[in-house]
Amino acid sequence: MNLRRTSFAAAALLSAGVLLAGCAASAAPESDKPTAAENPTGEITFWSSLSGMADVAAAFNASQDDITVTFEEIPNAANGGYTKLSAAIESGTGPDVAGIEYVSLPGFAASEQVVPIDDLVSEDVLGEYSEQVRELVTFGGATYGMPYDAPPQIMWYRQDVLDAAGVEVPTTWEEFEDAARAVKAANPSAYLTSFFMNEPQLAPLSWQAGSKWFSIEDEKWKVAIDDKASTKVADYWQKLIDEDLVKAQLGFSDEWTADLNSGVVNGWVGGSWSASGLKTRTEASGQAGKWIAAVPPSWGDEPTGALSGGTSFAITENSENQAAAAKFLEYLTTNPAAVEARGDVGTAYLAFPGLNEVASKVAPTDYFANDIYEVFDEASSHVVGGWSWGPDYDITNTAMRDAVTTAPTLGDALEQTQSATVDGLDQLGLDVSE
Amino acid sequence: MSVRTSGPSRSTTKPRPIQGTGGRTAAIFLVPFFTVFLVAMIAPVVYAVGLSLFAEQRSGLGFGGAETVFVGLGNYVDVLQNDTFIAGFARLALYCVLYVPTLLGVALGFALLLDAVVAKARRAFQLLLFLPHAVPGVIAALIWAYLYTPGVSPIVSALASGGIQIDFLSVHLVLPSMVNIAVWEWAGYNVIILFTALQSVPREVLEAARVDGAGEIRTAFSIKTPLIAPALGVALLFTVIGSLQLFTEPKILSTATTAVTSTWVPNMWAYDAAFNRNNLPQAAAASIILALLAGLLSWVVTRFTSKGNSR
Repeated sequence: MNLRRTSFAAAALLSAGVLLAGCAASAAPESDKPTAAENPTGEITFWSSLSGMADVAAAFNASQDDITVTFEEIPNAANGGYTKLSAAIESGTGPDVAGIEYVSLPGFAASEQVVPIDDLVSEDVLGEYSEQVRELVTFGGATYGMPYDAPPQIMWYRQDVLDAAGVEVPTTWEEFEDAARAVKAANPSAYLTSFFMNEPQLAPLSWQAGSKWFSIEDEKWKVAIDDKASTKVADYWQKLIDEDLVKAQLGFSDEWTADLNSGVVNGWVGGSWSASGLKTRTEASGQAGKWIAAVPPSWGDEPTGALSGGTSFAITENSENQAAAAKFLEYLTTNPAAVEARGDVGTAYLAFPGLNEVASKVAPTDYFANDIYEVFDEASSHVVGGWSWGPDYDITNTAMRDAVTTAPTLGDALEQTQSATVDGLDQLGLDVSE
Repeated sequence: MSVRTSGPSRSTTKPRPIQGTGGRTAAIFLVPFFTVFLVAMIAPVVYAVGLSLFAEQRSGLGFGGAETVFVGLGNYVDVLQNDTFIAGFARLALYCVLYVPTLLGVALGFALLLDAVVAKARRAFQLLLFLPHAVPGVIAALIWAYLYTPGVSPIVSALASGGIQIDFLSVHLVLPSMVNIAVWEWAGYNVIILFTALQSVPREVLEAARVDGAGEIRTAFSIKTPLIAPALGVALLFTVIGSLQLFTEPKILSTATTAVTSTWVPNMWAYDAAFNRNNLPQAAAASIILALLAGLLSWVVTRFTSKGNSR
């Protein structure tokens, strides 16, 4: 057992070191209040898990001489990227600029690991963003990050499989169920899509159904994860799983990739960001030109939509050159050159107006059988406003993953997640109502 | 149990004078150890205990900054009232029930077999058995996760083509699958401990057994096994403490199956509290609870095994 004990002790020592360093860092005098210098100069560091960001940093460095950006790629959230970022910021060795997804930004903002940027970026720029997107980075009246992308929830289907089953692209969830049945009937081993048990898409699906998991009422956080609309969504998917019409599995796993390639799974409840991943995963089995993007089916007569994921860029409390960091932040999120520099590694649907024209030109759109950016535009226009990720979504995230596995049904999982979230926020000392 | 071996007898060597510079020499040897021990073990524990008594309290909607307040044992109460944390202990207990007897049984079996084979083959078998232990735990778990995953695993597809449909990562099988990884990893290590103990079993006792008409199997179970009980006790102690720290295997498997959640065992719960939910005080409280339990269990195990010895 030596190895285990040693590694345990090492981990303990390491975390203790990080903690101690954290104390030392917070005891150090705060850097001077940032001033929006006209021409900031200096060196800044930039961490992100998004692919292609190294090229963006290089393009920025080449475009001017005042600021030098050093880029470091960090793992994504599932692989401990935020763990690393958070620990680094606490110990004073964090970057100036970091990529943080909308779901995780409130946690970073609440622990003051990222700083408000209202004094650093002009309101003219911030005002360009849509109201919903701005809400996702605004907490307690301050803006904590520059939205990068605003990826709408998108359905991906194998057009040839739908054709073989004799069904059209579903426009309502009822039709979606029929389509799942038809695909199954045409080929008993095939599924229309999978339901990711590890990354349950229940949040965007509930958002799309009109639910608001977190909202502020009477100066309190109202948590409504198991409200009527969400329960309807959970019951719907539970039924599909029970009747073996969708495959409940781990998203982004080897098994899932194998299923996509072998035609066992023929769809993906994803987002606009899915396109590049879909291409890399299915290219080898000759599926070029077979996939299409579609707006999510609707619950009623009116089409509705939601955002699925999305990243913002923020300035950490470690930054000693916030003016330079802000300048880079603006380039990163609003400059067409940044989109061009990133190239075809991602299919981002960007939040800043006007950038998607550039994005649609550099993205690998020809892999797909329809004009995916046109679909993104349409899905984006349906997004229901007023969604918030609450004050600390990490609690909800952990609770939901556990609940989806352990609860007998997805509906029960929502109830468990609701109570775990309320308890967790309550323990943090927040004012919560149900 | 009445057999006692007298090691290299003390009376033949001259007794060393225990006086003069003894204290200083001892200090030279002890100071480096205690320095490292203090910095690497005691200090973090003290720090964790301190940390666990405080909590970050936010107020209102949560974005006005947080203040650290003294909550006494509040974090311990919260942690012990948490259903997923407690469920982790239930899983851990089940794991121990499966893992400890399996591992010790397998290790003892191999050790006895090793002891029975001719001297030349011993070296080779010893090395082969120890080889899995040379593979780092994380790598081992990754390899096994691959071998378990349906759709990519050659084993699963081979079994399927033979008409056996089995999902090693399903809710019911994931625990045995995990035990399998750990046994694979740790059997060789324990074989070495037990085999070394077997080597020191006095040959005259075995000869006496043979003269009395005991066969190899009878000798192995009635003579050799009782004689290496102390070594078995040590192996048991290490195994029990190691099981409590179960983390690597479920952590890796959680990326390959939904049957393993991110808070599956108490250690993972603490990790998740610290690094996903950013609640260091609760993570510290959970770790202290776990450490106390490990201390208690090792006390019970040593107590139990040393009693068995003196009988």
